[in-house]
Amino acid sequence: MSTADAPSWTRRAVGVLVGAAVAMVLVGCGADGASPPGALEVDRITVAAASDLRPAFEELGQAFEAATGTSVTFSFGSSGQLREQIVNGAPFHLFAAANVSFVDEVIASGRGVATTKADYALGRIVLWAPSGVALPKSIEELTDARYRRIAIANPDHAPYGLAAEQALKSAGVHDRIRSRLVYGENISDTFRIVQSNNAEIGIVALSLAIADGSQYTLVPAELHEPLEQALVVTSRGEHGNAAAAFARFLGSPAGREVMVRYGFVLPGEALPTS
Amino acid sequence: MTDWFPLWLSLRVSATATVVAAMVGIGLAYLLAKGRFRGRGLLEAVATMPIVLPPTVLGYYLLTTLGVNSPVGRAWERLFGGPLVFTPTAAVVAASLSALPFVVRTGRAAIEDVDPRLEAALRVAGHPEWRIATLVTLPMARRGVLAGIALGFARALGDFGATVMVAGNIPGRTQTLPIAVYDSVQAGNDSAARTGALILAGIAVVVLLTVTSLSTRRT
Repeated sequence: MSTADAPSWTRRAVGVLVGAAVAMVLVGCGADGASPPGALEVDRITVAAASDLRPAFEELGQAFEAATGTSVTFSFGSSGQLREQIVNGAPFHLFAAANVSFVDEVIASGRGVATTKADYALGRIVLWAPSGVALPKSIEELTDARYRRIAIANPDHAPYGLAAEQALKSAGVHDRIRSRLVYGENISDTFRIVQSNNAEIGIVALSLAIADGSQYTLVPAELHEPLEQALVVTSRGEHGNAAAAFARFLGSPAGREVMVRYGFVLPGEALPTS
Repeated sequence: MTDWFPLWLSLRVSATATVVAAMVGIGLAYLLAKGRFRGRGLLEAVATMPIVLPPTVLGYYLLTTLGVNSPVGRAWERLFGGPLVFTPTAAVVAASLSALPFVVRTGRAAIEDVDPRLEAALRVAGHPEWRIATLVTLPMARRGVLAGIALGFARALGDFGATVMVAGNIPGRTQTLPIAVYDSVQAGNDSAARTGALILAGIAVVVLLTVTSLSTRRT
């Protein structure tokens, strides 16, 4: 390396800088182009949804697009994480939580339109294990030493985790198995922990077990507070009508059919006895 | 069908972040290597912090300082008509800060390695400091500086914790490749997770090979 190739090095550096500057402008446009104030392009709405909804909502999103031409992008996470993002200004048009309390908090923060709040389903929890592991017939059987790690979602910010914890306490086994609990970030994370055999068994959402097509044991609904799943249109203004339309679609016959198939109990329906 | 958006977004975000980190970082590296001023140690500590801070802590601080309830966030919203957080721009901010320490630390060491007698000779000959820096010091330190930039790029491309907190996980908008890998695992979409992981691992190997060749072929 001598001074002879210094100019070519300089040219290359300039080339990289120019290229990156162009990229910067592109990113800038992407950032601005997606949220011009007042501009209405309802070809897409963004929905923050609790992760127990993933299989059902992905199907519903496609059906909604087929019916209306508006595509739906989902961001799945625990209800607590999503609430945090919305309160901090995340650009979601609709928030479908796994528990109504998170919807209330979003409304209280001024980021949700109170009049659009609606219950859309009751969630159920199940004991679930991958094939090859003996499935317990009741939650009490979790004390069996063969279940060395028991996965539940983090009860601090995931409603399904809280319901699992309540069920364990109601059944009187929580203290005995506490040291064997492992926590998922949200309910689909919990499902993956069990599915990958990193825990022998988990307490997960019925919808995820159904989507997987495998065996499960329903946990009696009276062992935990009802998982009252509610939604709210966010107060961003833009796309509010399209977001409300998707919320109505959940309650339409086509929407109800999908939700029921994934094990959700719909408003106005009786809780089936386990 | 594979969705290439996360890769494309990741490349755009990390390329932009690398330019930002390089521009700020080379300046800082030069200042730290040559400058003698109060608070130099503190400045270096602050510029290096993202290496040792958990990315979630960096993300938390960014969300607090740039969020919709912060003065910066409000000013941004007034200027551009929308919040800064949960946009690709927020991902660029997170990635730039993640990349910065690599440019600063590696660059500073390279600048300090330049023979000071050479710079002194030019100084005696009456050249101003900025000319010495741009004509001699930085070109001679270029291998180290470039290695730092390459490492910074890799770090920017790989960031997960800070990005997911300040830009979220919005498919088609802020879902970078590392976040897409996480999301694919959650969704049980193993083939997408595998593809994304393979691409990221491949880029990491290329960057590390580049860094090695930059640091060994010295003259």
